[in-house]
Amino acid sequence: MVSPHESVAVVRPLAALFRHELRRLLAGRAFWALLLILAPLAGYGYVEAARLFGEASRTALQFPEMARAMTPLDGILVPTLGAFYLGTTLLFPFVAIRALGQDRESGALKLALQWPLPLALQVAAKLAAVGTAWFMSLVVPLSALAFWRLSGGHLAFAETANLFLGHALYALAVAGIAFFAAALAESAATAAIVTLAFTLGFWVLDFAAATGPEWLKALGDLSPTQALKSFERGLFPVGQAAALAVMGLGLAALCTLILPPGLSARARWMRGSAGVGALLTLLAAALTPQSVDLAEDRRNSFNPADEAELARMDRGLTITLHLAPEDSRAREYASNLLGKLKRLVPGLTVRWAETGKTGIFGAAQDDRYGLIVYQYGEQRAESRSNSPREILPLLHELAGVQVTPVALEPYPGHPLVADARMAEIWFYALLPILILLAAGLLARPGRLPSHLRAIQGAPP
Amino acid sequence: MTQAAPLLSVRGISKGYGEALVLDDVDFDLSHGEILGIIGPNGAGKTTLMECLVGLLAADGGDVSLGGTPIPVKRRREAMFYLPDGIAPWSDQPVWRVTGLFRELHGFPLDREARVLRWLELTPVMAKRVDALSKGYRRRLLLALALLTPQPILILDEPFDGFDLRQTLHVMDLLREVAAERALILSIHQLKDAERICDRLLLLDAGRRLGLGTLAELAELASAGKADLEEVFLGLTA
Repeated sequence: MVSPHESVAVVRPLAALFRHELRRLLAGRAFWALLLILAPLAGYGYVEAARLFGEASRTALQFPEMARAMTPLDGILVPTLGAFYLGTTLLFPFVAIRALGQDRESGALKLALQWPLPLALQVAAKLAAVGTAWFMSLVVPLSALAFWRLSGGHLAFAETANLFLGHALYALAVAGIAFFAAALAESAATAAIVTLAFTLGFWVLDFAAATGPEWLKALGDLSPTQALKSFERGLFPVGQAAALAVMGLGLAALCTLILPPGLSARARWMRGSAGVGALLTLLAAALTPQSVDLAEDRRNSFNPADEAELARMDRGLTITLHLAPEDSRAREYASNLLGKLKRLVPGLTVRWAETGKTGIFGAAQDDRYGLIVYQYGEQRAESRSNSPREILPLLHELAGVQVTPVALEPYPGHPLVADARMAEIWFYALLPILILLAAGLLARPGRLPSHLRAIQGAPP
Repeated sequence: MTQAAPLLSVRGISKGYGEALVLDDVDFDLSHGEILGIIGPNGAGKTTLMECLVGLLAADGGDVSLGGTPIPVKRRREAMFYLPDGIAPWSDQPVWRVTGLFRELHGFPLDREARVLRWLELTPVMAKRVDALSKGYRRRLLLALALLTPQPILILDEPFDGFDLRQTLHVMDLLREVAAERALILSIHQLKDAERICDRLLLLDAGRRLGLGTLAELAELASAGKADLEEVFLGLTA
């Protein structure tokens, strides 16, 4: 057991190291370059989103039915943070790699390994500093949201906070990959290439998983970008959120296994393999299909009465789709029904039948193409519809129940014609100037502390 | 009467890379307040020996004891601090931030940091960034960092590299003062410098110990009479 005295003995140097790491990140160009590029990028995302949302809102303000489609989550938040996501994917790794890679290159690591802090705590301090730098970069999207609110725009707290949480977890995963690459690679440049290969590789994985076989789809669920898409739909995906955290923290923890230069190659290989194995096991275990719908318009949910009955369908529902995964009908079915059913029906099995259709423009060889077959116990039903209005009664019939939907207040929508001219001045001029000023200010060596100013010969 | 155990006892340290043996069964002791110099031609295994001692490199065999008690690799950093040669850490930070970090990490009082900076005549450059320092000042900063550590044994790789004669003599005086409290192991390329400061010398060649002792003992070993270290070195490594 660690005594309080020992805890204090660790906390003070740890705090000192955290401050040191943060100062180094703020003294480097990578962080300020990230901010400087993010400002116009996310700003453009917001300005364009506000303009398009405003154009759509002009009509929607006259027709309440159309207004219901006007959600700030889709119209403003996702596009603004979409530009921020690009920054996290392409630029943030350089900030994270610097925290670890520079120590290897400069030889500082050899000194750090002799400090009274375990390597794991040192990596934790670096990760915390990198995380703090990322949180500081939120000034860009948060200022966009401030403009939106000042224009009278609506933001639902739960879905907004959930989306930011998704981006934070995504950034954690990227930082973990960057740390691991920096620990493995001989130089920061190689580490950057490895990290970008991973992050951009996830885009390829997403594309392949969307049209590939089941095992590729399952692998695609591990992709951080896929997880982020769930957050963008207003979902809090419990498994994917845990997987992102495990990926970020796990890869950073793996650094402590492979960094020490005193390890033999065999020990390094064994530690690395064991660590990766444990990490993959944790990732697989973390991928539970449970999720919570935090979208204000409940887009990921059915009527509560339907949901209650679907949750009782525990005799094993199997859905066989005679559709190619890349078919637009299959995509619509996935977003309208399948995603929601996966969250609700226990033990749901989804099968993609062999259709003989090759590629997006290829013709299907199967006469049954387009059919979706539902098998529940001995009961069986078929349909070509991808509308919940038709499919939910069909499923209730298979389960032998009748459902009366609960009356719900319809989502009103939040149309708004916002003027983004002030935001343009902020993102394209004022904010970059402030960023440059802050970079210049923090690059200065600072004032000597009083105990050193008193030394004879000290600079004034 | 039993003889007190040496501060540090190194037995049978070996290290190889594949077929190549870099360190071959190296032994030596280090006493309290002693300055031991490791000398040898390029590629003799000096740096490898120091890195194996502190655990930055995994030795293939051998034991290290502190005060007669074996210390496992994981705990070596409690006993020894090693300052490598050719490193340029935290170059984007001002000098006072780097020394301040070491002071805070090791929980030293403020006046100790001020004293070390004064000792090493770093006060005029305290506010400068490390990458703006001359080579000599950079070496002094690294020495300052080594002096801002609490371990009883300091291991310094080429501590006089980058200094002119006057600076070298100044740093030697300083290290002599340090040796009153901490034992030192110095890897030194310049034999004149080694002769000036070291109490004993460990001569390595191709990973093997060719000699260990005072200059007089090494001269006797080399059958070189009252020769200086350069002659002894040439005699033993011929």
